[in-house]
Amino acid sequence: MPELTLAEKLEILADGAKYDVSCASSGSSRRNKGGIGNAAQCGICHSWTADGRCVSLLKILLTNACIYDCAYCVNRRSNDTRRVILTPAEVAELTIGFYRRNAIEGLFLSTGVVKDPDHTMELLIEATRILREEHRFNGYIHVKVVPGADLLLVDRLGRLADRVSVNMELPSRESLKLLAPDKSREAIVAPMKRVGELIVQTKEERKVSRKIPPFAPAGQSTQLIVGASGESDLQIVSLAAGLYGRLAMKRVYYSAFIPVNTDERLPTVIGTPPLVREHRLYQADWLMRYYGFAAGELLDEERPNLDLALDPKAGWALRNLHLFPLEVNRAPLELLLRVPGIGVRSAQRIVGARRGGHLSLDDLARLGVVMKRARYFITARGRFGADLAPDAAGLRLRLTERATAKIRWSQPSLFDAATAIDIQSSITGEL
Amino acid sequence: MILRYDGTFAGFLSAVALARERGIKPEAITDREPEQQGLFAAIEEVATDRDRAEELYRLISRTLPSGALQTLRYAFHSCEPGREILLFRYLELGLATGPRFGAMLAHEAVIPVWKLARAVGREAHRYKGLVRFQQLEGGVWYAAMEPDHRILPLIAPHFAARFADQRWIIHDPRRGEAVVFDPARRKWAETSLEVTGPLPLSAGEELFRDLWQRYFDRLAIAERHNPKLQRQNLPLKHRGHLPEFER
Ligand code: SF4
Repeated sequence: MPELTLAEKLEILADGAKYDVSCASSGSSRRNKGGIGNAAQCGICHSWTADGRCVSLLKILLTNACIYDCAYCVNRRSNDTRRVILTPAEVAELTIGFYRRNAIEGLFLSTGVVKDPDHTMELLIEATRILREEHRFNGYIHVKVVPGADLLLVDRLGRLADRVSVNMELPSRESLKLLAPDKSREAIVAPMKRVGELIVQTKEERKVSRKIPPFAPAGQSTQLIVGASGESDLQIVSLAAGLYGRLAMKRVYYSAFIPVNTDERLPTVIGTPPLVREHRLYQADWLMRYYGFAAGELLDEERPNLDLALDPKAGWALRNLHLFPLEVNRAPLELLLRVPGIGVRSAQRIVGARRGGHLSLDDLARLGVVMKRARYFITARGRFGADLAPDAAGLRLRLTERATAKIRWSQPSLFDAATAIDIQSSITGEL
Repeated sequence: MILRYDGTFAGFLSAVALARERGIKPEAITDREPEQQGLFAAIEEVATDRDRAEELYRLISRTLPSGALQTLRYAFHSCEPGREILLFRYLELGLATGPRFGAMLAHEAVIPVWKLARAVGREAHRYKGLVRFQQLEGGVWYAAMEPDHRILPLIAPHFAARFADQRWIIHDPRRGEAVVFDPARRKWAETSLEVTGPLPLSAGEELFRDLWQRYFDRLAIAERHNPKLQRQNLPLKHRGHLPEFER
């Protein structure tokens, strides 16, 4: 076969990486200390593709060759596709070239496994090292950790990258065994644990001495495929809660299963992929991270799956009607956050504004509260602005998103602009 | 009474200072020709007085909470006609109420200014991503953009920190304004700039343009084709200077 040009390789390797959902480039604030680039605290989008997704990072595979054969992956060994590989220097050159033109925030480097996990990790580290040391690049770098690689390599990678991630992909040991037989749960969890420990430990050390280089300052993330295996939302949400709590996980991405391979081990998906479910999981995740909800408040053994017709916050409110209506001029921030239609920003603005005087219902709308939803759950100066009491029978119907209503398929993005998302799931060409 | 100033922030503050000294409430503060405004009140030209402006600025920084100062700066860079008088009322209220001002988020003099600042802030944030440099012969990096608001000085610090080793120019051809960065002194400055005729590009530019266009095309997922969502996130008016849309 004729040698491919750099442009042709780029096309193939971008193709293999595009299904990965995590495109957030936020959360790191690396300063430019001589050289080029910095990482912006809140993410920046540089363009939007024809499917409406934000382009923030150069998202590519180092190679689409792989010694493994995961059922859900386009790059698996048994697929008959053209395999290419970039040298670490080429990866660095592409990144710098795009970065200097302000086309990207940085690099998201993933890969198939060539030869063995250690060798593959060495290549990833080398690409990152060239960027940081030779190009003196201070922009954002997110690199995938290869499961099964030596943990010392994980340590080296995290000193160079802003974020590292190991994709868990399947929520349980059994599913993993069935669908990704080459990767054990241990091979995935061990580097995650190590990363979590190093993040916490390095933060402590850096309080004493700023000379110690940070370790993955933008934290670690992971991705779970939803719907390729039989786990309930309760299992998935509890797993996520555990990852946030114990492994210093910054972000869990959920990805509705879309088949790219035919394989008898995979469920047959009829019609559209479980995008609504994915959306609800993101909402639940958001509620746990920013609104102070515990997993057990959203789901339990009796109701192990999220209501597809209703957002989980409204669902919680309807199960806890004894708390409503709340008087917005008195309610503490924690409770304001639990009102459907009041987001983090508007809750904070309410708390700020009411110090300057009693707020009326009209004031609330001006402060950004979505009154269409909130009015059933609040009073302002004792006034109630809805025609239905919170415990009225028809309320659930009013809060239900009508099937015709357009749901915007994006992760709820309150804080980082760069997380406009992939509804597309990830049957990804990487780990 | 209409106060006319030169369009600069210092000029605006001079006008505010003047109004405060005399205890007048102007009907408008503007840098435009009054007939464009359809106003027939008496017009007074205000000369920009740096000392007076600075004095007022210090008073504002002492009295208003820091968030309010940022709001003021951003709202001033909006291109909304009549913004100055909104800012004037905002300042009057802020200077009269001092520390209590921070909590007056729902006040009728605060909301419109906050909205202007928010629109400008959003556009400035958006353009941190949409400014696109091309390397010119001789090594200078040049970017053109056509934002709704005058955001050049608001985004310049971001690019100065990020591309500290590049000589760069960000140009707003519609307004004939630019910011220029000098890496040797690590400083940026505003200047007026007119470009006539095509710019000579450096040798590597074609290659990277091609690489970027191909990369961009591959990123979209065919089954998810959704130009409506794309337009919602990136309206057509912002695409003018992006190579991925120039073909
Ligand atoms: S998911 Fe990763 S390890 Fe599995 S086949 Fe694909 S590239 Fe290889």
